Order: sequence, then C-alpha cells, then structure tokens
Amino acid sequence: MPKIEVKNITGKVLKDLSLSVGDKEILALVGPNGAGKTTLLNVIAGLTDYSGEVLFDGMNMDRVPPHRRGVGYLFQDLALFPHMNVAANIAYGLRIRRYAPAVIGERVDELMNALHIAKLRDRFPYNLSGGEKQRVAIARAIAPFQKILLLDEPTANLDAQTAKYFRSELSVFLRRLEITTVFVIHDLLGAEEMADRIAIMHQGSIEQVAAPGDILFRPRTRVVSEFIGMPNILNCDECTVLSTGLVEVRSGSMRLVLPYEGTAMSKLAISPHDIYISDSKPPGPALNRYTGTITEIIPLRTVVRVKVLVDGNELLAELSRETFDEMKLAAGSNVHLIVKLRRLRYFEV
Amino acid sequence: MNFKKLSIAVSFTVFALYGALILSLFYYYDGAVFLETLKSSRTLFSIRLSLFTATASTIIAVIVAIPSAYALSRFRFFGRQLIDTMLELPMIVSPVALGAVVLIFFNTPTGTFIQDHGIRFIFTVYGIFLAQFIVTVGIAIRLIKAAMDEIPVRYEEVARTLGASPARAFMTVTLPLCKRGIIASSILTWAKALGEFGATITIAGSMAMKTETIPVAIFMRLASADIEGTVVLVLMLIGIGLGILYGVRLLTGRAVPV
Repeated sequence: MPKIEVKNITGKVLKDLSLSVGDKEILALVGPNGAGKTTLLNVIAGLTDYSGEVLFDGMNMDRVPPHRRGVGYLFQDLALFPHMNVAANIAYGLRIRRYAPAVIGERVDELMNALHIAKLRDRFPYNLSGGEKQRVAIARAIAPFQKILLLDEPTANLDAQTAKYFRSELSVFLRRLEITTVFVIHDLLGAEEMADRIAIMHQGSIEQVAAPGDILFRPRTRVVSEFIGMPNILNCDECTVLSTGLVEVRSGSMRLVLPYEGTAMSKLAISPHDIYISDSKPPGPALNRYTGTITEIIPLRTVVRVKVLVDGNELLAELSRETFDEMKLAAGSNVHLIVKLRRLRYFEV
Repeated sequence: MNFKKLSIAVSFTVFALYGALILSLFYYYDGAVFLETLKSSRTLFSIRLSLFTATASTIIAVIVAIPSAYALSRFRFFGRQLIDTMLELPMIVSPVALGAVVLIFFNTPTGTFIQDHGIRFIFTVYGIFLAQFIVTVGIAIRLIKAAMDEIPVRYEEVARTLGASPARAFMTVTLPLCKRGIIASSILTWAKALGEFGATITIAGSMAMKTETIPVAIFMRLASADIEGTVVLVLMLIGIGLGILYGVRLLTGRAVPV
C-alpha cells in the first residue's frame, strides 16, 4: 500500500492531480516556477484547501487538521522560531506532543549529533549561518517521530558547493531514517542525486513520474523533454575501468572518461549546456575534448543550439547568443568541443 | 543642512515645544502649595483612583483586544472591514461625544434595565472604567493587530505541522513573539486611559472623593481659578505618566530579532 496517495486534487494551481508515494520512498517534485509544487506539499500537509482526496496508509486525511497528520514540513524559508534556541526549536514538536523529558532530551541529542549541530545547542536562529539553519530546521521537522517528511527546496539557501555536499548527506540521512519523503527542487541534477523517483510538474499537473534514468532517457512528453534540456543520449558500446577511479566509455568511435562508481552503464546523457564550444584548440590535456563539424544552427530566444558531428555521433551543444556571435560560427565550420566531466549523467544497467 | 540633520532638527523642535510647555508650568510653581496639595486626601484619592481605574481598564481592554486583533490580523471573514472601521470610532469622535452617547444609551429602556438590574455606571467608579475602556479598546486592538501583523503566519504553520493545535500554536509561538508589541500597546493604552477626561466627566461626573480622577481634578481646579493647584496636579500627571512609561520601556527594551 502506498504511504501517500493524492487523488484528483484540484485547488489553487493544481488540476486534477493524482500521485502516489511508496513507503520509505524519496520522491522529488521538479518543475518550473508556478507549476504547483509547493501547493502540492501544502495539500499533503493539510495547510491549504483542496478538493480531491489525500490518503496516508489508505486512511483518508481530508478532514484531519495539519497538527494531527504527522507530517514534518521543511518550509523554504525555514522559519526557525526566533525566540527559542536551537535545542528548544528541535524539541518543540516533542514538547507539544507531551513526550517525557528524558525522551525529548535523548531525541534532540540524537538528531543534533546526526546532523552535526550539537555545538549549536544554545545558539539562537539569528546567530546561525544558512547551512546551520537548514540543519536545525530539518532536525525540528523530523524530531516528533514523523512518518512523512516534506521538504520545500531543502538546499535553496545554500551556495552551490555546500548544496551538493548537503544533498548527498541528506540523502544518506533520510534513507537511514526510513522516512517517506517528498521534496521540491528546481534543479533536475539535485533531484537525481537524492530521489528514488522524480515527478515532473507543469502548470498544476504531473507530466511524468519515473526513476531518474527513465526521465532522462525516456521522457514521455514534450514538456518533460524540454524541461530536462533535450540531452544528448549516447550508447555505451564498451566500458573500461581505469585504475584511477575513472571509467573510459566508448560510444561509436568517441571515447569519454567519467567517474567510476562501480556500476556498468548502457547509456550516457549529456545536457547541451554541459558541452563547451571553442573555435580554437583549447589548452590542456585532451581528456573529453573533441573536434567536429557544425551541421545545423538552431537560434532560440536567448541561446543558440548547435548540432555538431563528432566521430559519427551528432551532439547538441548550447551557448549564449553573445558567445555565438563572437565566434562567428556557421554550418560547416570546424569547432572544438569540451564535455564537462562532472556534469555527465549515466544510466545504470 | 542635509536631510539627516534636518529630520533630527525637526524632532528636537517637537521635543523643545513640549519641554517649553512643561517648563512654563514652573512659572506658577509654589513649593508650599505643592506639598500641601500632594498631602491632601483629595489629591491622594485622585491619584489612587486614576492609577487603579487606568490599570484595570487597560487589563480588560488588552484581554479583549488580543483575540480581536488576532482575528483581524489572521482571518478574512465577513464584516472584517466593518469592524476595522468601527475601531476608529474613538479616534474620530471626541471623547465627550462618546461619553454623551453612553449617557444616552443608559437612558434607553435597555440601558435603564442594565442600570437597575446590573451595574450602575452613571456617576460611579464603574462609569470611569467604562469611559476609559470605550475610549481605549479600539486603539488597543489597532496597536496589537499591528504587532501581530509583523509576525509571519509561517511560524504558526510550522507549529501546526509539529503537532500544535491552532490555539497552542498561538500561545506558544505568536503570543511570545509579539510580546513586546503587546506590552508597548498596553503601555500606550494605559497612558491614554490615565489621561482620559472627556468621556469620564460625562459618564462618571466630577464628585470629589468619589469619581474625581487626576484629569478631572485638574479641570475642577482650573475652573475655580486655582492656577497653583492646577500646576501641581499637571506636574503629577506628567511625572506619573512619563515615569511609568519610561520605566516599562527600560524593562522591556530587549529586542528579539524576528
């Protein structure tokens, strides 16, 4: 039985939306602004009016007020209680539910240690950094032994580097807690890093719900395909594990080197904006660098997409209008391509 | 002169205006009369009565104002605009007129029934409570609502998802967060009640040792051309009012950043 089921939800921007989330599953809601992602979280938490049905473990929740739904919610603005210190913020839900002081103390310590915030115990929110606030807010949302956790942009307040680290840490943490999680994120890469399944939302509806690989390699609608940026899909004909923790993949006569994570792969996805184009040979080692011939130029509103034929594979690259104009590119020109190693995405077999 | 200096100069001008007015009182100040007036049982009664009624009416006004302000701040309901407009009644209608309205009400059959079978308000201490309550409650609601508007609803939503009922979310989150605003509103309400004159004299009259508050006593002394006595009472009113306001402000001066 699914842990969370929403059926034919209509309200605010949502249009007859249905979705189910499995027990202990981590599901990402991805989509452009105004798609209704946060509204859907509010519906699950019971914080907004809706028509339709929300079920937890098969039980109808429509008439259950937010404080009896047992749903932890990390709001995008975190909203730590400014008049309470870190420990009191985390303990709030446990106190409200009248847990014994010993249980409260133990739970607060456990969460503070797990999220590495034990040293912040007596600090007040105005005295915390963005990352620290994030950890405290997550600890507070989970503390009263919630079975469901909703996270609205859990890494929105962090810089890119910290966000990446925090996402992987959070993913491990949530799996260890075995808590059913629905989280909103605007970045597809972030969603892939954390989620078991991804739901792509658009204008109040769900376009596709699938495992990250399926979304990437088998987009079901044009909206999904456009949202994920029409990636270049390459078949992996041969994989050779290199001794340095890297794997060399052969696709046709193209060879790519990418991080090896101990899994074989059948396909590779490269987003068009992860391929750099240069009109002169770039300096440095020849790793993941190719030369090719432009076959087609597709001008869009702010960017230009360029199709380049490389060793029998046709790759789609994206560059800004300014860069494109500067390089004076035309169909038939020879160009150099650099594939960003860290942004390669691959599909496990 | 730059804008900063100009604005500071204007604020000092206002201060100088009030300061000059207070200083002018000392032209008629007489130490002997001061002591004599201060020691008189009539003055002491007025001080006690003023402090007691202002405090009691403020407590009741704030108790009524907190839930009303919360409703107006948080919910959108039918008649909300009407209530909000009505709260300005004490600000747009002069206190004497409000007092007259109360007097007229107690001369209607309903009013007479209340007077005969409930509490007698006209020319009694209860009348002073009522006058001060009517004049201040609208302002108290307005001020407390402004304090509550500053507290994002989000804190209550967080509390709700953590298991707090709406009432507990209010008690444990919103109320502590707007505590300073409520205290500040209460002080202003109390100050307004302490200085209330028009409605008080209209409803409760000016009976010495019975319904004579400090403002009423000032009026009575002035009416009988007792300038020295008037000065003493005015100085007392200013001293009590400013002293308590300043003291409470010092006590509650610690800020909680939201």
